[in-house]
Amino acid sequence: MKRRDFLKVAVGSCLLGGIYPEAFAQAQSVVALAEGQDYGAITRNVVSALGGMQRFVKPGNTVVVKPNIGWDRKPEYAANTHPLVVKAIVEECVKAGAKRVKVFDIPCNDPRRCYENSGIQAILKGLKNVEMKHVERERFKNIKINGSFLKEWELYDEALSADVLINVPIAKHHGLTRLTLGLKNMMGIMGGNRGYIHRNMEDALADLNQTVRSRLTIIDATRILLDHGPQGGSLKDVKVLNRVIASTDIVAADAYATTFFGLNPQDISTTVSAHKRGLGEMNLSKIKLIKA
Amino acid sequence: MKITSSRISQLIFLAIFIILFANTEYRGKDEISAAINSFFRANPLVTISYIFAAKAATILLIPGFMMILASAILGRFFCGWICPLGTIIDLITGTIRKSAPLKFLKGRFKYYLLFTLLAAALFNVNIAGVFDPIAILVRALTFFLYPLLGYTVRNGWAGLYSALGEKRDYLDPLFAFLRDYVLPFRETFYPLAFLSLIFFMGILFLERYEKRNWCKNLCPLGTLLGILGGLSLFKRIPGKLCADCGKCKDICPTGFDTDTLQKSDCILCMDCELQCAFKRVAFPFKGVSSIKRDKGGSAQPVMGRRVFLGSIVSGFFLSRVFAFQSPVQHERLLRPPGVKDEKDFLKKCVRCGECMKVCLRSALYPDYFKAGLYGVFMPVIIPRLGYCEYNCNLCGQVCPTGAIPNLSLEKKKKSVIGTAVLDKNHCLPYAKKINCIVCEEHCPIPEKAIRFEVVEEKDHNGKLVVLKRPYIVEQLCNGCGICENKCPLEGKSAIEVFAQGKRATNA
Repeated sequence: MKRRDFLKVAVGSCLLGGIYPEAFAQAQSVVALAEGQDYGAITRNVVSALGGMQRFVKPGNTVVVKPNIGWDRKPEYAANTHPLVVKAIVEECVKAGAKRVKVFDIPCNDPRRCYENSGIQAILKGLKNVEMKHVERERFKNIKINGSFLKEWELYDEALSADVLINVPIAKHHGLTRLTLGLKNMMGIMGGNRGYIHRNMEDALADLNQTVRSRLTIIDATRILLDHGPQGGSLKDVKVLNRVIASTDIVAADAYATTFFGLNPQDISTTVSAHKRGLGEMNLSKIKLIKA
Repeated sequence: MKITSSRISQLIFLAIFIILFANTEYRGKDEISAAINSFFRANPLVTISYIFAAKAATILLIPGFMMILASAILGRFFCGWICPLGTIIDLITGTIRKSAPLKFLKGRFKYYLLFTLLAAALFNVNIAGVFDPIAILVRALTFFLYPLLGYTVRNGWAGLYSALGEKRDYLDPLFAFLRDYVLPFRETFYPLAFLSLIFFMGILFLERYEKRNWCKNLCPLGTLLGILGGLSLFKRIPGKLCADCGKCKDICPTGFDTDTLQKSDCILCMDCELQCAFKRVAFPFKGVSSIKRDKGGSAQPVMGRRVFLGSIVSGFFLSRVFAFQSPVQHERLLRPPGVKDEKDFLKKCVRCGECMKVCLRSALYPDYFKAGLYGVFMPVIIPRLGYCEYNCNLCGQVCPTGAIPNLSLEKKKKSVIGTAVLDKNHCLPYAKKINCIVCEEHCPIPEKAIRFEVVEEKDHNGKLVVLKRPYIVEQLCNGCGICENKCPLEGKSAIEVFAQGKRATNA
């Protein structure tokens, strides 16, 4: 290596460190929180509190935005990510220069009904450089995971090949894991017999999130589902919070969202397991909170 | 092939039929406005067999009555101007070389067939739909040809992916139209695909013997329309082949087996009128008074006491001869939502395949044994393959006779298909002391018909584990089958829907 090249790399990595502080693991985890009734605005606020979308999305990037569209339920039932939250994120990505923004999920109910009833398909219709397609079976790739529970699994190619993956879960109750948040929302890129991982959800989700890292986690807590999750179906179980949080640390985001339910991060085994694996910070006192 | 008015009409109706078929599908709206069921609702065979079997009528059958009236006035125009199966036969028959007509199909065979089916309906077993031409066509399409199209195109598309990888996305706009408007949403394989194909191909095969062989010698709908057409106020003249020409015998697809036109077989294609070199042929309005006078000319051995009595006996036999049913099979006889009574369903179901075509999650399949042989082609839910989607009531919307009632969504959600039953020998938390409860997660009932209890137990290695063990709240379970469908065990599900509970709840 010539001296000039060495300097380039050295200066480059210093700059990179400035732009991506958490690339150096010691940096403190930051969670941005915004509250308000304009869901588009609070979503934009948490993103700009973290440095704006241009920090994550570079011109020409292909971005995958992965909401929870798992259920055939209308937005008010708090089973899927709110369409306004998804739309604001997608628009910010396009504004930051994304070549293409792909929005999809692999739902539990009929995919057509979920896309329709979630309100997300309708709200994204006509947006330029944005696509929302149903998954195509041939696009699953068998990926070696070599985790403690998952050895290999079929994952969706678009999530694997995207330049930036933005994870947009909704905060809600779940029978098995008590809550489903960012870590669990990543399950939506898995194919195959997904029910299998219920046997050891903690390790499976840590394995998955170790293999596929989301650049940014934005948790929709505009309304949360308190019981009978993850699909609910009764408005009695829904609580309107008008909040959105965001973090580049998926565990920190999950840990903070847990408090909305009156629970501690330690109560959620998936969070604990991911923290132990070094996927992020769960200790609330070590997480910096920015109110946006 | 000449372009005549009847041919244009045939092609238009075939196009309508195909468009309606492709639109008998969920396309983002909870209501389906256009479904092929109009072809069944305006179908006199469906109308009359329903009335015979159910001993009642429904408002849904009004188009059928109108068709009966129209045929009695105009004649058997349906076969020559509308029937999509007839049109398909006309389109291909020119390419098939003919040998001599089959003798055994001549005479009264078709009348025996029609009246036997109607008599069986009278004895509460309505299997007319098995031989209904529109139903034969829809079943062949739904169970075999349409899935075949989807399989072929999609595999080609998948093949492009293995060649191009993600670059295939550039071609996506070209594929989008096919995917969104033409192809089935998912790959489904149907039992009885082969039988549906045999019926359809058999009808085409019959064209080896003579033109419109099925239509004029077998089709129970055509035979029924022919009887009605015998009353028609229009009559072709001349009534016989002209001694100096006789070309009508070659031109006519159905009516000139002998030198005298059989009015009940004339499908009013009017090719003879167009092609007559001497301009002798016409179809003038004769009025009511003509009916009696004409009797001598065009009458043939139609009904007669023999056919009538013979059919009653064979219909009675037919209604009992396949009566064997296995009670064990009945346990899993899961009918579409809203069907309350098996006997009633047997009277009203046309076996047209529409509910199976429209079923969002491919939950409905043609039955072949569960309800005995009488149940052939009738819809059953096979939950391990597809479950009944909680917010969907499309099957009731497309059913032409209301055999599957068109329930409001609220009522449909509460109508009981069956009840889920746990098999603790297979279910992980019970059998292996491993957590799972995928079934509980998927249960769509807002209060959850599947719940769990938390217990602390020693697992088989002696380690203390906290287990969530599912149980079923039978009063809430509607038997939709999503639990059975999603159970992550391989092969057999640890939770299965049984037809039990139905009797008690729906009584």
